[in-house]
Amino acid sequence: MRMILGLDAPTAGSVTVNGRAYGTAGAPLREIGALLEAGAVHPGRSARGHLRWMAASNQIPASRVDEVLDLVGLGEVADRRVGKFSLGMGQRLGIAAALLGDPGVVVLDEPVNGLDPEGIRWVRVLARKLADEGRTVFVSSHLMSEMALMADHLIVIGRGQILADTSMADFMTHHAASHVLVRTPQPDQVVRLLADHGVEVTRAGDSLHVHAGDSAAVGELVGAAGFTLHELTLVRSSLEDAFMTLTADAVEYHATEGVAA
Amino acid sequence: MTAIAPAPDPTTSAPASRPGLAPALRAEWIKLTTVRSTWWTLFAVVLLGAGLTTLLVGLNAEWLASPEADEDPRAFITWGMMLAPAAAVVLGSLVVTSEYGSGMIRSSFAAVPSRGRVMLAKSILVASLLFVVGTASALLGYAGANPFLDAQGIGLPLEGDVLRAMYGSGLYLAGLGVLAVAVGFLVRHTAAAVSILLGTLFVVGPMVLLVPGAFGDWLDKVMPSNSGGGMAAAVSFNPNLMEPWTGFAVFAAEVAAVAAVAAWSLRRRDA
Repeated sequence: MRMILGLDAPTAGSVTVNGRAYGTAGAPLREIGALLEAGAVHPGRSARGHLRWMAASNQIPASRVDEVLDLVGLGEVADRRVGKFSLGMGQRLGIAAALLGDPGVVVLDEPVNGLDPEGIRWVRVLARKLADEGRTVFVSSHLMSEMALMADHLIVIGRGQILADTSMADFMTHHAASHVLVRTPQPDQVVRLLADHGVEVTRAGDSLHVHAGDSAAVGELVGAAGFTLHELTLVRSSLEDAFMTLTADAVEYHATEGVAA
Repeated sequence: MTAIAPAPDPTTSAPASRPGLAPALRAEWIKLTTVRSTWWTLFAVVLLGAGLTTLLVGLNAEWLASPEADEDPRAFITWGMMLAPAAAVVLGSLVVTSEYGSGMIRSSFAAVPSRGRVMLAKSILVASLLFVVGTASALLGYAGANPFLDAQGIGLPLEGDVLRAMYGSGLYLAGLGVLAVAVGFLVRHTAAAVSILLGTLFVVGPMVLLVPGAFGDWLDKVMPSNSGGGMAAAVSFNPNLMEPWTGFAVFAAEVAAVAAVAAWSLRRRDA
């Protein structure tokens, strides 16, 4: 993300935003607004002071400063020194800075870090609203549950490599394992029936995990053969599970799970 | 907390024409005036520059007028300008290193991607501020000190070398400010930058006197505290110095060289 903003030089390749390298446009904050890290503020300066210099640097009207302060809910503490802010307030200030130039592209690096549940929800609603206004909202996060709620399109990066670049729906279809949970008083017969139709089944206690993506087909098949079903549920693994499967080989540091026997 | 963004406003979302130096200068000016350290360091420049001059002249006026005096009273009239540089380089360093310390430098370069322009804007403002405050401090020191000399019958008119030392003080501090900004960009750390600058001005500068021979003489002449400092003194305590304007030209070249290296490295390193 720092490379997008021209802060770090890539070892190879280039980054363009709206077809140009960052910084070749006259007023970059009007094109792309970024929340890089909540700490990128001088602790001795007030929130208003911070946004005022940013506005001046890109010829953004000063009136916009109060607009974004109210937008992120910092209007009342605008003149307090940023060093006294909580992590969540700092995060809100960073988001205010990102929105200052009313940009078409908004980059949010770990936006929900340090936010309370209300703040997390607020970021999610805000990101959605910005996207619905036709802006591109580029969010990075380690919180898969958060991404599952927020994102339309997903890029997975592991060890510097792009592992996936696809829509959320496609990603889930391809990488999220799903199975049909079946509970029946006649498990042996059902396993045999499904095996005859080439469907893989594993037994887990008194229930069966049928490795198929379509619960209706499984139900019809079993019903047509006259067996009784007590439960028929499509179980889809979460984005987190899908992510773990995809990056199993690519993550930099594995936590050792258990000790080899 | 459920407020949401207003629809894009065409007056703010239309890309402006390529901004020149002016918006960067305005942004840096707001930065300077919205932190306390700026006022503290400028206050320290005045306190050292004017206060110490007044104090030292007040204490020494009688001796300076006496037959035993072996120093020119003109050497005392900007005495404080030997220590005011300490505050000046702290200001120049902080303008840069406080941004690296807090991570704000990334906000700065995201807002103004031309790093050279950021450095230039900071240098211009620090130099201007220090020129004004430095000259004012020297004049204030003169106003405070000269009555003591007058009382002893050795008052100095504000003309010639005395007058030159007034704006010379401003020029010297301005140059040091630019040097401090450059060192700040090179080392990116407040303590390191301030140590290097204070060490150069107050430790290495006087110590080169110990280097023997013609080489020692030459070193003594070109140390920034001596090459530039001569400009801030009507008559220097050090008889070995270059003529004030010659020395200042050397000083300016030294500052420019360090600034050029800093600008070059700034463009190449990651922020």
